[in-house]
Amino acid sequence: MIFMEEKISFIKDGLRLDGRRPDELRPIKIEVGVLARADGSCYVEMGKNRVIAAVYGPREVHPRHLQEVTRAIVRYRYNMASFSVEERRRPGPDRRSYELSKVGREALEPVILTSYYPRSVIDVFVEILQADAGTRTAGINAASVALADAGIPMRGLISSCAAGKVGGEIVLDPMKEEDNFGDADMPIAMTPSGEITLLQMDGGLTIDEFHEAMELAKSGCRQIYEVQRKVLIERYSQLEGERGEQAEVTACD
Amino acid sequence: MTSVISEIRKDYLYNLMLRGERGDGRSFDGYREISIQRGLIEKAEGSALVKLGKTQVLVGVKMQPGEPFADSPDRGVIITNAELVPLASPLFEPGPPNEVGIELARLVDRGVRESKSLDLKSLCIVPGEKVWIIFIDVHILDDCGNIMDASSIGAIAALLNTIVPAKKFGLGEDYPLEVKDVPIATTAMEFGGVILFDPDSDEEPIASTKMTVISTADGRICGMQKSGTGMLATDQVYRIVDIACERAREIREKFLEV
Amino acid sequence: MDRIERTIVVPGDILSEDEKRSGEGTYVKDGRVFSLLYGLANYRDNRINVIPLAGKYVPAPGDHIIGIVKDITFSNWIVDISSPYDGLLHISEFPKRIDMEEMSRYLRIGSSLMARVKDVDCTMKVELTVNDRRLGPIKNGRLIEISHTRVPRLIGKGGSMIGMLKKELNCNIFVGQNGRIWVSGNEDDMDLAIKTILIIEKEAHTNGLTDRIVEFLGGEKGSRS
Repeated sequence: MIFMEEKISFIKDGLRLDGRRPDELRPIKIEVGVLARADGSCYVEMGKNRVIAAVYGPREVHPRHLQEVTRAIVRYRYNMASFSVEERRRPGPDRRSYELSKVGREALEPVILTSYYPRSVIDVFVEILQADAGTRTAGINAASVALADAGIPMRGLISSCAAGKVGGEIVLDPMKEEDNFGDADMPIAMTPSGEITLLQMDGGLTIDEFHEAMELAKSGCRQIYEVQRKVLIERYSQLEGERGEQAEVTACD
Repeated sequence: MTSVISEIRKDYLYNLMLRGERGDGRSFDGYREISIQRGLIEKAEGSALVKLGKTQVLVGVKMQPGEPFADSPDRGVIITNAELVPLASPLFEPGPPNEVGIELARLVDRGVRESKSLDLKSLCIVPGEKVWIIFIDVHILDDCGNIMDASSIGAIAALLNTIVPAKKFGLGEDYPLEVKDVPIATTAMEFGGVILFDPDSDEEPIASTKMTVISTADGRICGMQKSGTGMLATDQVYRIVDIACERAREIREKFLEV
Repeated sequence: MDRIERTIVVPGDILSEDEKRSGEGTYVKDGRVFSLLYGLANYRDNRINVIPLAGKYVPAPGDHIIGIVKDITFSNWIVDISSPYDGLLHISEFPKRIDMEEMSRYLRIGSSLMARVKDVDCTMKVELTVNDRRLGPIKNGRLIEISHTRVPRLIGKGGSMIGMLKKELNCNIFVGQNGRIWVSGNEDDMDLAIKTILIIEKEAHTNGLTDRIVEFLGGEKGSRS
C-alpha cells in the first residue's frame, strides 16, 4: 500500500513524481502479431501496464440466437490476470470488468464495418497482465491494432488515453499514484479525425478544466496513434522479403 | 466449439510417422525450442513467460500471509490455478475453468507439491495462525500445443525467481523463496502406435491419448497422468517414462539449474 | 515485371482528394478517399484499391474452393470452407445420383473436396456444387492452407505464376479462393511445391516476386540433380 501525506506535491519544479512534464505520456511500446493462434494480436506497454489483445473472427456465432441477420456482432472481453495487481485478485470477471468490457466494445464498434459480415461475430479478448492505472485505455489501443492486424475493415484506428487532475493541475496519462490520490480521471478514445468513442470521468472538474483535460487527452491520443500506425507500417516495410510469424502456415485441419 | 480434422491431413501425418518423420522435422522425442523470460510482471513476487515453440504461457506467483489449513497448522499453503483464456485458442471459451483447465492446474500443483520443491514448514509464520499462502497462477496466452509442459516449466521458473514479500507485511526483510527441487513435466502422445513427445497443435488433435510424467532432479517420478480416451500398452508406458525423465533432465540442465 | 506503385496503409489513411478514385477496400468521406483496411494501396488505372494483408474469406458465386466436410444432414453435406460461413452441398449437386443413406460413402466427415460456390444469398447461405469434371472429393496428394489474401499473388496476373509453378514443379495444383491448396505429384515434387507456395505467401507483398521464385526454383532443382 502507498501512504501519501496530505502535503505531498504531485508536481515539483514543473515535473511529476516520475519526472514527466504534465503533458507527457508514459513510455509506450507496441508489438503487432504476437500470437500465432489468433487472427490478429497486439501487445502494448504503457508505463508499467502490460496488456495483450487478440481478435478472432469474423467467425460463426455461438450460441446461435445471438446472430444478427444484417451485421456482425462485436464482443469485447476485458480480463485481468490474477497476478496483475498488487494484491492477488480472484480470477474471473467482476462488475468492473463487465463495465470496462462494455465501454471498450463501444469505443471500437463505431469504426468497424460490421455490415460486411452478417451473421458472424468478431471477438476481441483483452488480457491485462500487469495493471498500473490506465489499463482500459491500453487495452483499447491494443485491441484496435489487433483488429487491423486481423484484416477487419475499419474507418480508422482507435487511440485511447486519459487525462487527470492532480495537485490542482491537469496532467496527461496519470500513473498509479496520481490516479489513486488525484482529483479527477478522464479516459477517452477517439478516431484519427478526433471523434470521441469513449468518454468516462470520475472526480471533480470545472468546465474550464474539463476543456483543458479534453484537449490534453486528445493530444495524447494523437501521439499514441502515430505509434500504432508506425508499428503496423513497419511490420511489412522492414520485413520486405522475410515476413514474421503471422504468415506461417496454419495447420490445415 | 470444435474443429474438423481433414482426413487427408491425418493421412499425411501418419505417413510421415511411418517414415520416422514429423511435420516440423523434429525427431519423435524432440522438443520444440524453449525460452524463458523471468520477471516480466513486477507486481508479482515471481513470474516467467515460457515459449515452447509458438506456445506461450505466463505464470505469476503471488504471496501473502493467511490462515493455515486446520489439518496442517504449521505449513504454508500452495494454491494453483490455470486460466485457459479465450485469447489463447479458438477452442477456449470464456467462463470458469473447465475440466481441462482444472486438470492442468492440478498437475502443475502436483509437480510442485510432490517433488517437495517447497519446504512448506519454512513457510509457517505463527503456527496455527499465520502462514504464507503461495498462489501460482498459470495464464495461457497462445496454445500451439502442449500447454501442460509449458505451464510446468513456467511454474517452477516463476518460483525460482520469487522474492518473499516479507517487508510489505511487516515480517522483516524480503528474501528469495527457497526452492529445493525442480520438477519438470514432459508429455507424450500416442498415434497409430507411435509415441511423440511435445505434441504441437497440428499433432494434438489426432492424439487419442496423452501421458504426462513429472520427474525430479534426482530422477524420481513425482507425478503422472494419462489423459484422453485412448489406451496405452504397458511397454509404451515404460518407454514414455524413460524418455520423459531424460528430456526433463535436459530441460532442467539447460534452463533451470538452481 | 510486376512492379506496381504499392504502399502499406492502415485503416483511416487518406489515399486521395479525388473521390472518383475510390476502389475496393476504401471509403469516401467529405469527398476524400480513405483506406478501410490494413493492406497494400494499389494506385492503378486512376483507381485506388487496398488489398488486405489478412482477413477471413467471404465466399462469392463462381469461386473455386476446397472444403472439409464437418457434418452430414438429411440431404446436405455441411462443409467447412475456412470462412465465417459454412457451405452446403446438396445431394443433387453430386454428379451422380446418390441415395441419402449412402451419402457418407462418397464424402464423410473429415473428407476434403474441391467445389464451386454456386450461390450465396443475402443471409449468407452458401450453396456449393461439385457437378463439374474438375471438382469432387480429394483422395490423395496434400492439402495446405495459406491466407486467402495471398491467393491472387499465387495465381499471378492472368494465371502467370501458377502456370509457371505447375510447369516447373511437375505437380497438379488446385488453388482454392479460400486459401486451401491441393497439391498432387510425387513426394519430392510435392515437398518443393509446398515450400515454394509458402515462400509466395510470405513474400506476397513484395516486388519482383515472380523473378525471385524462378530463381529459387532454378537453384533448388540445380541442387537436386
